[in-house]
Amino acid sequence: MDLASILYLGVTFGLFVIFALIVLRTYSKKRRKDGEIAKYRMLEDDDD
Amino acid sequence: MQKARYDTDIVRSFVNWSIVWGLVAVLVGVIVSFQMVNPSLNFPPYFTFGRLRPIHTNAGIYGWGVGVIFATFLYMVQRLCRTPLWSPKLARFQLWFFNATIIASAVTLLLGYTTSKEYHEMEWPIDIMVVVLWVAFAVNVIMTIIKRKEERMYISLWYMMASLIGVAILYVVNAAEVPVSLFKSYSAYAGTNDANVEWWFGHNAVAMALTAPPLAMFYYFLPKTTRVPIYSHRLSIISFWSLIFMYLWTGAHHLLWTPVPDWIQTLAMAFSLMLIAPSWGSVFNGYLSMNGQWHQMRDNYLVKFLIVGITFYGLQTLQGPMQAIRTFSAFIHYTDWIPAHIHMGTMGWVSMIAFASIYYLVPRIYGRQLYSIPLANLQFWLILIGQLMWSISLWIAGVLQAGMWTAMNPDGSLTYTFMETMVEMYPYWWIRAAGGLVYLAGIIVFIYNLVMTVRRGENATVATVAAEGRA
Repeated sequence: MDLASILYLGVTFGLFVIFALIVLRTYSKKRRKDGEIAKYRMLEDDDD
Repeated sequence: MQKARYDTDIVRSFVNWSIVWGLVAVLVGVIVSFQMVNPSLNFPPYFTFGRLRPIHTNAGIYGWGVGVIFATFLYMVQRLCRTPLWSPKLARFQLWFFNATIIASAVTLLLGYTTSKEYHEMEWPIDIMVVVLWVAFAVNVIMTIIKRKEERMYISLWYMMASLIGVAILYVVNAAEVPVSLFKSYSAYAGTNDANVEWWFGHNAVAMALTAPPLAMFYYFLPKTTRVPIYSHRLSIISFWSLIFMYLWTGAHHLLWTPVPDWIQTLAMAFSLMLIAPSWGSVFNGYLSMNGQWHQMRDNYLVKFLIVGITFYGLQTLQGPMQAIRTFSAFIHYTDWIPAHIHMGTMGWVSMIAFASIYYLVPRIYGRQLYSIPLANLQFWLILIGQLMWSISLWIAGVLQAGMWTAMNPDGSLTYTFMETMVEMYPYWWIRAAGGLVYLAGIIVFIYNLVMTVRRGENATVATVAAEGRA
């Protein structure tokens, strides 16, 4: 594997770490209720 | 709190123009399908398959698909942010520039000016127009989001932002070219690099223009139609980020068994398979949102479009990764299986959601009740049957084609000549053309219903329009 390939995989792995952090944050017990509020808010009558 | 005054005029205009370009796309599609079975229908130099086919694809993706994106995004962003559009004037400029760009594309393609890159055939002056158009749109939507009065960001906004940023990056990178005259340019990349960038663009144009926006629409219009929230907002967020994380690495699956480095092909194959998870995350979220509401499939014509649409998304995102596996790709790539796959996505998934979105919008932006729900139901069946005729006939044709191409005699020579395989395709191509006609009939019913809604539909408030869908 050359340097470019290692860099390519490195970026992929870095993005995976960021993605894993997003999953952990979204599904943390603390944010359980908070994470669902938007789906109720969008249903509120909003037309003029 | 005083309610915001939303701009609906611009939404009306984009709805109308997207339907015009959608009709052109399907009409040209039907013409080229008949040219395939009857070559005497080619009239050189302008009206040949080679020149009309890119008009069909570009009118479909950029005229119909992007037109609906413009209409629905400008409608949704105002309501999800509870604030008027940042700049109605910019949106008005965008409307006229959009039509100018589509017309310029159609005329130059008809005259034979092409970069020969699939889904990116337009020459460099039109590339500049596309970039100006998209930047105007993106600035308007993003500024509206920045100025929003609603703190919570619903999942549709995330998909919208991904589409705005994704399309911009993909288009600009793939458009890197060296102009040598007013209508001729050469790609800035060479050889396999050019192919790799082209399919990084090509496959992700599907992601950012034909997957993220319909998902934004689905997540918005399904709960608005059923009046029941989606099953899980957190699942939608995870599906979103995993889709964004995985999609951009999959383009090279279009280049399996080519000189592109082997490890890039393997990476694309692996990410394509992983992509099933986020795609089906949205499919399950859609299905689970219908818990206790399945009766609406019978009572509410919009739900039928939306749920059948997301079902085709599920089928499409299972078939796509299977095709990205090397051994399967070796069998079906370059056969008629591939256009069948693409059209299940465009006719079954994207357009089904687009029709539902427009049916939701038109009564609200014109303040009229839909002229005829039976006609909407008729259109549903016409486009469903037309699409299935189209896709199933070409799946069978593709397998037959692949089988004949790979058949060998005991001495290692090919059993069939290429012409023999072509002759075998004719019955399936006739069914495809007939399927296109049925789909076109569905579009005509759709347009008639909308025109009559605007001209003769009964005046309605938003509340009566919402109730009418469930009549």
